[in-house]
Amino acid sequence: MASVRTQREIRQRAPIWLVGLLVTNLVIMAVDARDADGRQKVLRIWTQTFASPLQNASSKATGATSGFFRQIWNFRSTAVENEQLKQRLSEVETELHTARQAAAENDRLKALLNLNEQTNIKNVPARVIARDPSVWFNTITINRGSSSGVEPNMPVVTPGGVVGRVITVSPWASQVMLITDEKAGAGAVVGQLGESGALGSIRGRADLNVALIEMRYVSGLEKVEVGDYVMTTGQDGIYPPGLNVGKVVDVKSGTATTAHQILIQPGAQLDHLEEVAVLLYHPPPRSMPEQTPQNPERTRR
Amino acid sequence: MSQLKIVVVLIVSILLQLSLRGVWQPLSYVDFPLVVVVYIALQRDAWQALLVGTLAGLIVDAASGGLVGAGGFSKTLTAYIIYFAATRVNLENPLLRIPVLAASSLLDSAIYVFWHRVLNYPPVAPLMQTMSYKLIATTVVGTVMLYLLDALVAERSSQRRQFATRRRVARRSTGPLRRR
Repeated sequence: MASVRTQREIRQRAPIWLVGLLVTNLVIMAVDARDADGRQKVLRIWTQTFASPLQNASSKATGATSGFFRQIWNFRSTAVENEQLKQRLSEVETELHTARQAAAENDRLKALLNLNEQTNIKNVPARVIARDPSVWFNTITINRGSSSGVEPNMPVVTPGGVVGRVITVSPWASQVMLITDEKAGAGAVVGQLGESGALGSIRGRADLNVALIEMRYVSGLEKVEVGDYVMTTGQDGIYPPGLNVGKVVDVKSGTATTAHQILIQPGAQLDHLEEVAVLLYHPPPRSMPEQTPQNPERTRR
Repeated sequence: MSQLKIVVVLIVSILLQLSLRGVWQPLSYVDFPLVVVVYIALQRDAWQALLVGTLAGLIVDAASGGLVGAGGFSKTLTAYIIYFAATRVNLENPLLRIPVLAASSLLDSAIYVFWHRVLNYPPVAPLMQTMSYKLIATTVVGTVMLYLLDALVAERSSQRRQFATRRRVARRSTGPLRRR
């Protein structure tokens, strides 16, 4: 009898709990959505601070598990050999694999260091510790935060090209919006900055299955060809000028009155990011618009 | 189902959700926490289903680029609707769980995207394609997961295992060799 009453009570109270929890989620959502783009979201800092250890742990666990399976695979591939040789071979293979990984990592880190010399901007190397767990968004989380000098809107790059920009910074981790995101706009030019007049703006495309970037507002009179390189112009106040964005893969030519429709393949391998560099770049302050000259008529009066 | 088991299952599902995208991109279409939420809701435990829905959603939101609270909202509402249906219709049949999983995936995605659109934060993934892939992946993997959870976690199955062991022991003690 008592359990029947409890069940009935639960059934009666469930809608109240539902409303309470839904309202809580709604309030959190509203607070998170309220902060405009570009401003540091307070709620995000907190959630990122709590989520980053979990992401770090899951990243390490994934690495260890895939390493374990890779080793099993290595053992299986040498099954035809005799037991001793197999053992030795697998050890050598594992060592070789580790050495190759270390060498590849070394090369990538060297390339990141070279970035410093190329761009003359101080950078912080970082490791990608997580990708967005939701299928609806495409952000990455890196293991550097405000304790390493990272700030919101700082550009993130690899030797291949631009990766994106920092959107949330917690003390030990940061969230990065990829350049393929619909909201990730930047000023760009087809060809060399200063030589080409094919200026426009780039942004991600949600409707495309592959990770391509769309370039808009390039005058139809400018010459653009497949295979041309696209660089940042620095006019967006986020990315420094001269960074490689990618290569033109498709052009629908415009006319004197319509712009070209250009698709760009990002230079950075966004699907296989492991190490990136955060450029500690502060864009030069924008000059204030000139004051309107005084009306001489009004001054005379 | 003991609360400890729920916590363990929830943590494992969240860790899988956080890490599997890095291993193989298509695995991100499987919504592991949602399967756990559906499983608890099917046990007709309203409070646990709602709480697990909110917690799972919020934790995944925290690590995601979307709005914090959108996943919590969608999973809580989905949990309640499944609980509501389970208290009125018998959904114990394993075959019936397949459409339940598919419907929950669809509902969860629809609510999630709806709030993002309303609050001017549209998701970057193409809507219909992502919803379809998510529905297929979550239903296929979720059906296997529900079977595993039923076999490993549910009170009833552990009671059944205990009963089978006791019966075996009882049979042994009353066997012809023992009687002699």
